[in-house]
Amino acid sequence: MLEAVQLTKRYSSIPAVQDLSFTLRPGQVLGCLGPNGSGKSTTVKMLTGLLEPSRGLVRFDGRNVQEDLTSYRAHLGYVPEEAHLYPYLTGWEYLEMVGTLRGMSRELMESKIDLLLELFSLRPARHAAMGTYSKGMRQRILLIAALMHDPAIFIFDEPLSGLDVTSALIFKNLVHALGKAGKMVFYCSHVLEVVEKICSDVLILRKGTVIAHDSVVNIGKILGASLENTFLHLVDDVDTMRVADDIVDVMRAA
Amino acid sequence: MSPSQRWQRYRERPFWLLVELFVERIFRGGGDTDAEGVDLGVGLVLTLLAMPGGFVSVLLFDKYGSLLQWLRGQFHVDALLISLPDEYFFIVLSMTVTGAVAVWRWDAMFPDRRDYMNLTHLPISSRTILLANLVAVLFLAALLAIDVNGASCILFPMVVSAAQGTLPFFLKFAALHAGAVLLASVFAFFAVFSILGTLMALLPPRFFRRVSSYARGIVVVYLVTLLCTSFAVPDTLRRTTGSAPKWSFFFPSAWFVSACQLLRNRANPAMEELARLCVPGLAGVIVIAIGAYAIGYQRHFIKIAEIADTAVTLHKPRFGFGSLDKLLLPTPFLRGCFRFVAKTLMRSEAHRLVLTGVSGLAVVLASQALMNAFQSTTSWREAALTPDALSIPFILTFLLIIGLRLVFEVPVEIRANWVFQLLLDADGQESEPLARRVILTAVLPWILFGTFTVYCYLEGMTIASLHTLLVSVWAVLLTNILLIRFRKLPFTCSLPVFKQHSIVVLISFCFGYLIYAGSTPEFEASALHEPLRMLELLPLVLAGWYVPRYFAKNSIELERRMIFEESAPRTVEGLRLSE
Repeated sequence: MLEAVQLTKRYSSIPAVQDLSFTLRPGQVLGCLGPNGSGKSTTVKMLTGLLEPSRGLVRFDGRNVQEDLTSYRAHLGYVPEEAHLYPYLTGWEYLEMVGTLRGMSRELMESKIDLLLELFSLRPARHAAMGTYSKGMRQRILLIAALMHDPAIFIFDEPLSGLDVTSALIFKNLVHALGKAGKMVFYCSHVLEVVEKICSDVLILRKGTVIAHDSVVNIGKILGASLENTFLHLVDDVDTMRVADDIVDVMRAA
Repeated sequence: MSPSQRWQRYRERPFWLLVELFVERIFRGGGDTDAEGVDLGVGLVLTLLAMPGGFVSVLLFDKYGSLLQWLRGQFHVDALLISLPDEYFFIVLSMTVTGAVAVWRWDAMFPDRRDYMNLTHLPISSRTILLANLVAVLFLAALLAIDVNGASCILFPMVVSAAQGTLPFFLKFAALHAGAVLLASVFAFFAVFSILGTLMALLPPRFFRRVSSYARGIVVVYLVTLLCTSFAVPDTLRRTTGSAPKWSFFFPSAWFVSACQLLRNRANPAMEELARLCVPGLAGVIVIAIGAYAIGYQRHFIKIAEIADTAVTLHKPRFGFGSLDKLLLPTPFLRGCFRFVAKTLMRSEAHRLVLTGVSGLAVVLASQALMNAFQSTTSWREAALTPDALSIPFILTFLLIIGLRLVFEVPVEIRANWVFQLLLDADGQESEPLARRVILTAVLPWILFGTFTVYCYLEGMTIASLHTLLVSVWAVLLTNILLIRFRKLPFTCSLPVFKQHSIVVLISFCFGYLIYAGSTPEFEASALHEPLRMLELLPLVLAGWYVPRYFAKNSIELERRMIFEESAPRTVEGLRLSE
């Protein structure tokens, strides 16, 4: 079980995340929603151990992860928001490096990489430099890197960005399958429909604090609307139609 | 409107904006990737390129200084006669450096896919893009010629005419030297451009991509060969009595030095013959280069859309790590990171630039030492035991080790280092062993194989073994010293901030070079006759071995923790009691 206990992060005394607490159980898919600057990325970085909390802690199976980050990260599969990769490495080389650093045996690693590349339709481009890959291809490489060592926890930060329709559908089903397989999935996204469809629970952040945390069904019941309307109701106080009209006015201005 | 305003308005015209954009691309990288390479800055690149010429000129003070000549008992020295080998060397140097840059920046010289995507949908004709890029390439050729030869054009004539003391001699010598090296540079640039441009114009784009790297490799081998001819060609040309030997026609450097001698009225018939090739040769390569550029542009840039999405599927590159794993890389950290570091060194443009610059300097200084070794001796065997010849592997190892240590600090795709932050154990303390393995495997095998083979052939097994052993021990000690408190994974940490002791470190490198590549071979030259004298170096070896261990033992845990960000020490540290 993964627990966030009163997680707080301050940058030069300005709070980015404040008193964030939740629990992620095996088989649970927890969606994390929030507008830009709401603290989603900071939360993800604290959960992965890339950032140390100013206060609070992350527990995995009852132990503070900061006490032994290396063994915690062995159970972690992470797909970051932006696919920052080394452009001169080939997809195969990158995955080989990640597998080696994770201490996987050569035979197992090579067979898994080969099969996953095939399943993610990347096999033909496996020996081409990643600099030549499209955004979606890079995203798929990151997904394979997160999956190949069979971790217990998955943290996905906007994993669908750049994926084509087929890959996105495969991914949505994959998240379902991971949940069924007893994995813990923490899923950050801007795409509300996807969160609504694939997550069992949802966490809505605004300005670094939790404003809603419940199952998707319950949130819908309470507010009696779709997740999109709920989100707009809770988080955004922007009149989106008016902003769109204003943009057209500026464009047309002589 | 003031002239500066007029110039500003002129610069803002689309054509000149394009020229500026293309010059930027040529310097800061192009290609079809979104690679966010390290921007070394135009200033640093130009400084690196200007270094070899400046260094060699300064080293020649020893040869031309009137006081030193007087002390050697050389009272009536013909400066024009003794400067011939150096003149040739500078011509070769300018051709090699310029040619190497043309080879290295080849991929960035043509408008690429990014230019295509950003420019073709704008109301700019493809002819304007072609011309703007051509102007940018010509600008690069001129800039390179001036930069590579700038220091030598001033310093070398000053050094040579120091003993002559007359201004007309200086001016004439400087003008002819400048003319020769600048034209040689321009020739080298356009020669490379015409070879690769012709291949580009003739071959289908996909096939050209494969052939291009091999063609560039061959050009680099030719340039290095040209550099290595510097200790033999001038003397042979000077001694030739009849017509020029046939092989000399294949060395354009011989044409330019002959033209220089012809204008100084010091040419023999062979040189006169070679000098006549200069103008047609230069004109020929320029015409071919521009023609090939126009055809290549037509064939590649215009059709980028047709080939843009074609995935280039290469075969799996083989690096032969299999056997290395068992011997050198016992842990997952070392295995994974060694491959990463090796591939970065081979593939990252910025790192290759710095390494090429340092390696170029090493080759230049080694060639100079080889030339000096031959000047005072009559046979290969005699020359091999001079301090100059013995210093060659020391020069190469010192500069290559320093170069590698330097490039470890240059980050690559810094935002991609999250994967190492996530996967590596920061307290594992394996950074230093990794860096040591990379440096020693990159430097030692080649140097040792070359040194041992050459000395075994020339001087026998005993001297070859002693010399090789000394070079190896020195290389290992230098590596250990340079890696004191090293706690980064190479290329994954932000650039180090300038510290007050940086200047001290720089001066230490210069002194270190003098001891490592100057004093050691001097001592070795005398000690090789009585091998037991080598034991006198033992205290130095023990000290060099102990110092890094002492520092490692006396550092606290925090100082050994791996870092991914270099931060400047704060002047005022806030306590943040509220948090």
